[in-house]
Amino acid sequence: MEYSLDELMIATMAHQLKGEFLVSSVTAFGALAALVAQKTHAPELAVLATPESGMEVTPLPTLTLGQFLTDVQRGIPLTMEEIFDAIFCDLFRIWINPAQIDQFGNVNISSIGPWEKPKVALVGSRGIPEDTSHLSQIFYYILHHNTRSVVSQVDFRSGAGNGAERDQYLGRSGAPSLLVTDLGVFDFSGPGGSMAVVTLHPGVSPDEVRERTGFDLQVTDIIPHTTPPTAQELEIIRTADPLEVRKLELLAGEEASEKFVTIYERERQALHVAWPARGRH
Amino acid sequence: MNKVLTAEAMLDQIPDGASITIGGSSLSRKPMALVRALARSGRKDLTLIVNVGGPEVDLLLGLGVVSKVIYAFVGFEVMGLAPNFRRARQGQIVEFEEWTEYTVMAGLDAAIKRVPFLPTRSGLATDVLKVNHAFRTMTDPFTGQQLVAVPAIHPDFALIHVNYADERGNGVILGDGHIDVLCAKAAKTTFMSCERLVHADELQRFGRDVQILRIHTQGVAEMPWGAHPTGCAPEYRADLKHLEEYMAAANDPAKWAVYQDSMVFVEHGQYLDRIGGREHLVSRLHV
Repeated sequence: MEYSLDELMIATMAHQLKGEFLVSSVTAFGALAALVAQKTHAPELAVLATPESGMEVTPLPTLTLGQFLTDVQRGIPLTMEEIFDAIFCDLFRIWINPAQIDQFGNVNISSIGPWEKPKVALVGSRGIPEDTSHLSQIFYYILHHNTRSVVSQVDFRSGAGNGAERDQYLGRSGAPSLLVTDLGVFDFSGPGGSMAVVTLHPGVSPDEVRERTGFDLQVTDIIPHTTPPTAQELEIIRTADPLEVRKLELLAGEEASEKFVTIYERERQALHVAWPARGRH
Repeated sequence: MNKVLTAEAMLDQIPDGASITIGGSSLSRKPMALVRALARSGRKDLTLIVNVGGPEVDLLLGLGVVSKVIYAFVGFEVMGLAPNFRRARQGQIVEFEEWTEYTVMAGLDAAIKRVPFLPTRSGLATDVLKVNHAFRTMTDPFTGQQLVAVPAIHPDFALIHVNYADERGNGVILGDGHIDVLCAKAAKTTFMSCERLVHADELQRFGRDVQILRIHTQGVAEMPWGAHPTGCAPEYRADLKHLEEYMAAANDPAKWAVYQDSMVFVEHGQYLDRIGGREHLVSRLHV
């Protein structure tokens, strides 16, 4: 069955999620990965509709309707205290989409250039420090693998990677587990907890990965290919995301703006078609 | 006691230099009508305290009335970076103090619990500890483990927006709660706007959704569509079209002056007319 890059990445991300955990839905990729996992190999996952609430719902990626999903599906509303308690107890999993990740798995969403005098001020570290201080598994994905996003050293550590400081203060908590990009799958099993290639996506060459990585990544010429998504996984993804919000994350420019407008116009209808029942209120 | 006040009467109590914590989260349930009233009130040198900030922080920065921001995040989520925040950060125009989501909650919680700080492991081995000079590292007296001491945050005021409230100051939140309860408890004075004022009997039917207790509120105002252009679940979604216009205006000085005149320096009823009137809002944003 034919598939696209977003579907390959989402299915690959899904394979990592297993066990009985709260799984956050901050992005369409993260929400769909959680859903695929929950509907295939990991039925015990508790998938949320929004970054903080809506347990026991089926995610429907939209631009603005996460909380409405909780209401129309009568999901379980959670509090921020419950979310952070789940993080502190290592009962929470999340796919984080950082602006930069470096060879030791440090991640940055705060600032390009020095924090005190940023070239580009990003959003601020949000809850990533909580994640890397407490979770025994942390997953990252990057949609545009290039020398600005996969770098030798991040400009600011919003999340702790491997190194002496984390060993001293955090033990193995928050050690980066895996990175999925548009080129392949990477772990941190290299020397000193550095990045290493696990698989390359079909059609991606070792040279391309070397060229598009901001440090000297060891890529041998014999690397296995990422397993393509199954027909069942594709069906789950396409059914759950009829508006194709997942595509938006990979698009840019005019194409992205047009898709954005279409999704925004149609998402209420999609919600009501999928769940015609009235909400709790 | 009847705590119904106009937005203007609330703002009369807020002095220059006040510290204000604001509820909601990014594009969800921000008390934007109160924030616009604050923006046009002439108050200045404000300290803002937010967990996940968005248009409220950006608007107040764009009006030049802020001297310090404590935040874990400021952005427009799917829409991109917050224009005035980005400019102010890059131009080092005001003081910024980067916290994290839980540490903002812990700082407010420490104030509520009347302790000087709360310990956490959050932030260890990250650069947040290097740039945030409010935090201290400490040694756990029992195990010798390294921890972060998060100081109490004592906001003078909290501004929040809820779905329903009664005139005594109880508030119902139906969508995600964010950190509004912590804001309301930690601040010395809490002002709350609501979509609709309801009778106490009707309010009490909401049971545990009555999350804001009147012992913590000092003023309540009925302001329908008071979260616009952010959303207020389960009634209306965020107005991404308006936010797009806002972002374009914030990046062009001439347009920004027009935006301020037409959207900020007008009272709430006029604002609703300017954005198309209530019927139009229902058709575009009601879910």
